[in-house]
Amino acid sequence: MRSIRLFLVASILAALILFNFVAALQGYQSSMREADTLFDNQMLDLARLVSNLDLSNASTRDLRLGNNLAFQIWSESQLLAASHNAPALPLQNFAPGFEYVNFEGYRWRTFTRYEVPLDRWVIVAERTDLRFVLAENVVLQSILPLLLGIPFVGLLIWIIVSHGLRPLQQLSDALRNKGANDLSPILSANSRIELDQVVESINGFIQRLDRVMEREKRFSADAAHELRTPMSALKIQLHNLSEEMDTKHESFQQLQEGVDRMQHLIEQLLSLYRATPEQFINNCETVDLYAITQDQLASSYPYFEVKEQNVELIGSSIEIEADKFALETLISNLLGNANKYTPRDGSIVVSIDDLGDEVCLKVEDNGPGIPEAEKSRVFDRFYRVAGSDGSSRPPGCGLGLTIVSHVADLHQARVEVKDSSFESGSAFCVYFKKKP
Amino acid sequence: MFINSVILVLQEIIEAALLISVLLVFTNLFQKSWDKSFVLQTSWVGISIAIGVVGAAMYSYYTPQISEMFDYVGQEIFNASIHLLSLLLVCLFAFLVPSARLAKDVMGRAKFAAFCMTGIVMLAIVREGSEIIQYIGGIAGHEDNFTPVVLGGFIGAGIGVSTGVLLFYGLINLSVNWSFRISVGLLSLIAGNMGSQAVLLLTQADWLPFTPIAWNSSSALPENSIAGHLMYALVGYEATPSILQVSIYLLGIVLIVISPLFRKSWPLQHSLVGET
Repeated sequence: MRSIRLFLVASILAALILFNFVAALQGYQSSMREADTLFDNQMLDLARLVSNLDLSNASTRDLRLGNNLAFQIWSESQLLAASHNAPALPLQNFAPGFEYVNFEGYRWRTFTRYEVPLDRWVIVAERTDLRFVLAENVVLQSILPLLLGIPFVGLLIWIIVSHGLRPLQQLSDALRNKGANDLSPILSANSRIELDQVVESINGFIQRLDRVMEREKRFSADAAHELRTPMSALKIQLHNLSEEMDTKHESFQQLQEGVDRMQHLIEQLLSLYRATPEQFINNCETVDLYAITQDQLASSYPYFEVKEQNVELIGSSIEIEADKFALETLISNLLGNANKYTPRDGSIVVSIDDLGDEVCLKVEDNGPGIPEAEKSRVFDRFYRVAGSDGSSRPPGCGLGLTIVSHVADLHQARVEVKDSSFESGSAFCVYFKKKP
Repeated sequence: MFINSVILVLQEIIEAALLISVLLVFTNLFQKSWDKSFVLQTSWVGISIAIGVVGAAMYSYYTPQISEMFDYVGQEIFNASIHLLSLLLVCLFAFLVPSARLAKDVMGRAKFAAFCMTGIVMLAIVREGSEIIQYIGGIAGHEDNFTPVVLGGFIGAGIGVSTGVLLFYGLINLSVNWSFRISVGLLSLIAGNMGSQAVLLLTQADWLPFTPIAWNSSSALPENSIAGHLMYALVGYEATPSILQVSIYLLGIVLIVISPLFRKSWPLQHSLVGET
């Protein structure tokens, strides 16, 4: 995955280095040319100075200049004066102007000048290597800061780019930190022109999504609510019918089972609707998890008795912060699920364990268990695990574990599906935060 | 000293930077255009540079012994071998990586591509790095030369690396098809240059016969001008190449042009996505 920050920093720095260094090279070359002209002008001045020397004084005939300079004064073919390092022969042909010559193992730049009034030829010379080094040192001093400044410029670009990308990072954080059910619009406090369009589009999308989800939830809740009244009437009619006719008739029993299933589905849909964050009125209070579980077991006992299942509750009184009604719904759904999927004469163990920071409510059975591939899907709405033979499913509507998951979310608890400690079967563990 | 140092380091660095940039573009393109599971990590760059630097240091250390080999043409032979080995790896990369046989084995293809690219870059660093080490080590030892040579080296390296970075980002920000086409085009020039350099070195070592000069463009673009040096680094420009050099250069280009990698860059559907 490519990074915008790296792209901006690397390409800006590369462009800066490229243009600056090429400019430095250009500057170096023109500065060296200028320095060359400057040194030539100095030689002109030196030649003018030397040509006016008073040669009657013996000391001026053998002047000591620096090692980088030399001169000769000729009149016709006679050497009138010279520096200590100049050779005895003429340095150049007697032709005015600049030239190059080699002597004393070095290359020299020479300037020859004819002094008409005095009838003298003046030749001055300067070592090229030394004047080049001198010029280069001066020019390089101006390039050095350019090089030393690169790390600081790089750091500065990094800071500026990071600062410039911060609104994007903030937007990304805002989206990441949004809860799964949070469909409120994103508020862009530090809005930027470039990001406004993005925020607007995302908010528009969230709004549309919110409307669709609200419509979907309201539809199922309204439908379930509206169905409750005719369902109650249907139950009464069925009861009345059972008084008047033979209830052992197969069609009648199927009708009764169908009506019961439908009533259960309606109740579960309403429970699911109540367990959504928007509808949940948090009436959290300190409750005894053990006592509530015991009550729920007692009220579900007839179902276990019908299937002659062995139910055991292990644990002791422990307090958590929870909504009592929601917690009862969660436990009754877990128990109902265990009851449905555990075979006749099977065993169900409900345990409450204190894990220190957390309290674990575990419901395990010795039913057929849940295949590994299906474990992540059991909390999906209307998802039902197939029966042990792979084809038949126990009666139910596939909403029980979805309700369990919703209620757990509302309590910031987590639900895990594991294999039970029996030879087969599954264990549902709900980890609640312990009351501080 | 300063300008010489800039030119030498720039010439060597820009050759390596061009190669690394083009191969990095391929790393990027393979993931975009072929298979999402064809994960080619960019870690090969770091590995090849590290091995290459060690190799360059060792090569420059043993250069006196190497040059005495093969009747004192050991260095030419060694350098020519590096060029030919690099050319071989470029060809393997162009012919085998896109092949249908390797496409079935995604991990195998990623490993093979990374192996080829590591080898190519490592050899380039050994070749170019040893020249820089020998030059800087030989000249910077003199106190007067130290500042201009080191400063020139940094300026040259800075220009070379920056050019590589801009080329890389320039190429990956093009459309996939154009990015692929230009990268394959550059790879063909790199392959031609490798072959041509090997021929030049083997001719200098008298292992290959001298052939007549194909052309003389020294008046239009002298080799020792800054532009000439840059063109040498970019496309292996020489003002007076021999006929054999030009032939091998063209052969290098042809090898890439007939490779499956080149065909991948001109898909009929104008899209590389999903192609294997």
